[in-house]
Amino acid sequence: MTMRIKIWHQITAICFSLLVLKVNLVIKIFSLQLVFFNVLVADYSKAIYQIDFSLIDYFISAIMIIIIPVGVIFLRRRIKVFSLSLNFTSAIIIILAAFFVFAPLVANNNPDFQQNIGETKLLPPLSSVEVIHLKREVKPAQNLLDKLVKLKEEVIKNTYDESIIFADSLSISSNATIFQKNSQIILPKDRILYSDGLPVITREYFLLGTDEYGRDIYSRLIYGARISLFIGLGSVIISLLLGVSLGFLAGYPGGFIDTIISRVTDMFLSFPAIFFVILILALFGNSLFTVILVLGFSGWMSLFKIVRGEVISLKQKDFFISAKMAGLSNYNLLTKEILPIILAPVVVNLVFQYGSVILAEAALSFLGLGTGSFYPSWGAMIEAGQNYLTQAWWMVVSPGLCLFITLFAANNLGREIQLYYNPRLKG
Amino acid sequence: MKKEILQLLFKRILTSLIVLFLLISFIFFLLRISPGDPSLKFVSPDLSPKLASKIRDSFNLNSSLISQYKQFIINLIQGNFGVSYTYRIPVISVIKDFLPFTLIFSSISFLIQIFVGFLLALISVRRINGVFDKTVLRLSLIAYAIPSFVLGVSLILVFSSMLNVVPSSGLSSFDAGSFSFFAKISDYIIHLILPVVTLSLSGVAVYYKYLRQNLEEVYDNSFVLSLRANGFTEKEIIRKHVLPNAINPLISVAGVELGILFSGALVTEVIFGLPGMGRLTVNAILSRDYPLVVGCTVISGVLVILSNLAADLIKIRFNKRLIKGMLN
Repeated sequence: MTMRIKIWHQITAICFSLLVLKVNLVIKIFSLQLVFFNVLVADYSKAIYQIDFSLIDYFISAIMIIIIPVGVIFLRRRIKVFSLSLNFTSAIIIILAAFFVFAPLVANNNPDFQQNIGETKLLPPLSSVEVIHLKREVKPAQNLLDKLVKLKEEVIKNTYDESIIFADSLSISSNATIFQKNSQIILPKDRILYSDGLPVITREYFLLGTDEYGRDIYSRLIYGARISLFIGLGSVIISLLLGVSLGFLAGYPGGFIDTIISRVTDMFLSFPAIFFVILILALFGNSLFTVILVLGFSGWMSLFKIVRGEVISLKQKDFFISAKMAGLSNYNLLTKEILPIILAPVVVNLVFQYGSVILAEAALSFLGLGTGSFYPSWGAMIEAGQNYLTQAWWMVVSPGLCLFITLFAANNLGREIQLYYNPRLKG
Repeated sequence: MKKEILQLLFKRILTSLIVLFLLISFIFFLLRISPGDPSLKFVSPDLSPKLASKIRDSFNLNSSLISQYKQFIINLIQGNFGVSYTYRIPVISVIKDFLPFTLIFSSISFLIQIFVGFLLALISVRRINGVFDKTVLRLSLIAYAIPSFVLGVSLILVFSSMLNVVPSSGLSSFDAGSFSFFAKISDYIIHLILPVVTLSLSGVAVYYKYLRQNLEEVYDNSFVLSLRANGFTEKEIIRKHVLPNAINPLISVAGVELGILFSGALVTEVIFGLPGMGRLTVNAILSRDYPLVVGCTVISGVLVILSNLAADLIKIRFNKRLIKGMLN
C-alpha cells in the first residue's frame, strides 16, 4: 500500500515547522497575551489604548498556529477536503494561505523596516550585513503597564530600531568607529553593547535581497501576498453578493426589470472594466477601500449572467413550483432551492474571478493607481524594480514569480473544480 | 434575407448608441458625485481667465444641472472634451496625436495572435496527444497565466539589460531623423518586437486553446471518418471540411479579445514607453488632468463598442443562421 501525501499533511507540516523555527517568538506572544489580559482586568481603559492592528495580528497568528494543526488533525475525516491528495495547485494555495494567516511569524522583518539605507540598499539575494547592537536604556518595569509596553516593543517588529546599526565592520580604539559602505560613524565607546568584554555583533540575512530603500524583499513579499489575497477576497465577496442578488432579481420576476438590468449589464460587459476602474480611482482617490470596492463592482457581470440564466430555467421546474406553492418566502426560495443548484458554476466563476482580481490589483499598483504607496504590493514592487532593472534584477524577479505562480494556481484550481463538478468536460 | 440583415444592422447600431449614451451619462454622474469642486473637473486653475470663462460657457457650468448634463452630452458627441490641463490644447487634438499608434499597434498584435494561434493549433491537431501537442498545451496554460507587465519587464531584463540586443523603450532611436526610409522602418520594427510579443502572448494562448478544442471536437465527428473512408487525404479533410466548421467560435472569441486588447495595450505602452492612448490615459490620471481622462475613456469606449459591432457583423457574414437568434 502506497502512502500518498494528503493536504492535511502539508498544513500540519507547515504549522509545526513554523512553530519549531519561531518558538521563541510564539512563546513571547503568548506571554504578551497573558500580560495584556492582566492589564485588561486591572485597568480596562489603558489596555484598550494599547490595542492596534499589529497587536491583534500577532495574537491571532499565535493562536492560529496552535489551533489550525490540532483542528485539521481532528477534523480530517469529517471534512473531505483535508484528505484529498496533494498536488502542485493545492500546495501553492496552502502556502499562500499560510502567508495570509501567519504573516507576522513567517516574515523576518516589518515590511517597511528600513535603517542605514546606504548600507542595506539594493543588496542581492542571500547577502548579509553585520548588525552592531547599541546599549539600550532599560528602565525597570514599575507596573504591569510598563511590562506590557516593554514586551510589546520586543515582540512587534517596528519600522525602525534605534538600538542596532547595520555596518561592514567595527573598530574600537579610543572611540568606536563603525564603517559603512560610503561613510563611517564615530560613537563613544560605551554606547556599544558588550557581552563578556566583546561587542555583540550578529548577522542579518536578506533571503531575497533588498529594495531601493533597504527593505527586506522577502518580508515585503509575504505582506504583499496578504494584501493581494485580502483585496481579492473583499472584492470577490462584493461581486458574489451583487451578481447573485441582481441575477435573482432579474431572472425571477422577469419582464421589465429583467430587460433593464440586462441592458445595463450589457453596457458594463461591452466595455473593458479597467477603464472604469481607472476613471473611478482617478476621481475618488485610491485607498485600500476604494480599490476593493471598485474591483468588486467591476466583476459581477459574468456571475449575473450565470445566475440569471439558471434562475430562468429553474423557475419552470416542478420542484421549484411546488416549493413556491408550499409558501416559501422569496429569500428561502433563493437560499434553499436555487443556490444549492447553481453552486457549482458560481464557485468556478468565483475562483477565476479571484485570480483576475489579484491580477487587476497588481496591474493597478504597477500603473501607480493601486494601494502600492500605502502597503507592500506585488505590482508596486515590480514597478519600483523596473527603475533599477540594470542594477537589481531581484527586485523584479521575485514578486513577478510570486504573482505568476499565484495566478497559475488560481487558474488551475478553477479548472480542477470545474472538472470535479462536471467530469465529462475535458481538461 | 436582405431585409433581415438590414433590420439586424439597425438594431445593433441602435443598441450600440444606447450603450454609448449610458456610458457618457455614467461618466457625467461620476464627475458630479466625486469629491471636490465639479467645475474644476473641466477648468484648470492654471488657465488664463479668458480661456477659462470660454470653457465655462461651452459646458454651461454656470446654469442648472440638467442643462449642464445636456450640454455635456452634446459636447462629447461633437468631440469637444474641453482643454487639457497639461498640454494646454483641446483634448481632441491631443488624442488625435496618440490614437493612430494604439490602433496600428493593437491591430498588428491582433493579426499576430490569430495567425500564430491558428498555426500552432493546426500543427498540434495533426497528432493529438503527440509530443508537440502536449508541450504547446502546457506552455499555453503558462502563457495564459503570465501577467503582461511581468512578461514585459522580464523581457526587458533578459533581452535589453542582459543580452542588449533590442532597445528597452520608445518607438524610434533618438537619431532616427537622419535615417533613410528602410532604415526607419527597420528601426521601428526593432523597437516594437518586445511590445508586440508582450501584448500577443496571452492572446496566442487563448486562440490556440479554443481552436485546438474545436478542431478536436470536429475531428471526432463521424463525417470525418466517412470522408477518410472515401479516400480523401488528411490535408483535404482538414482544409475543406474541418476548418470551416471549427472557425466559427473563433470569431466570437476574437470579438471579445479585441476589446481586451485595448486594455492590454494600456499596460504594454506604459512598460515600453510607447506614445499611445494607454500611456496618455495613465499619465493624465497621474497628473489629475480630468478633461483628458474623460476624453480618453470616451474614445476608448467608442473603439470597444465599434469593435464589438464589427465582430458581430463578421460573425453573421460567416454564419447566416445566427441572424434569427440575434434578432430576438
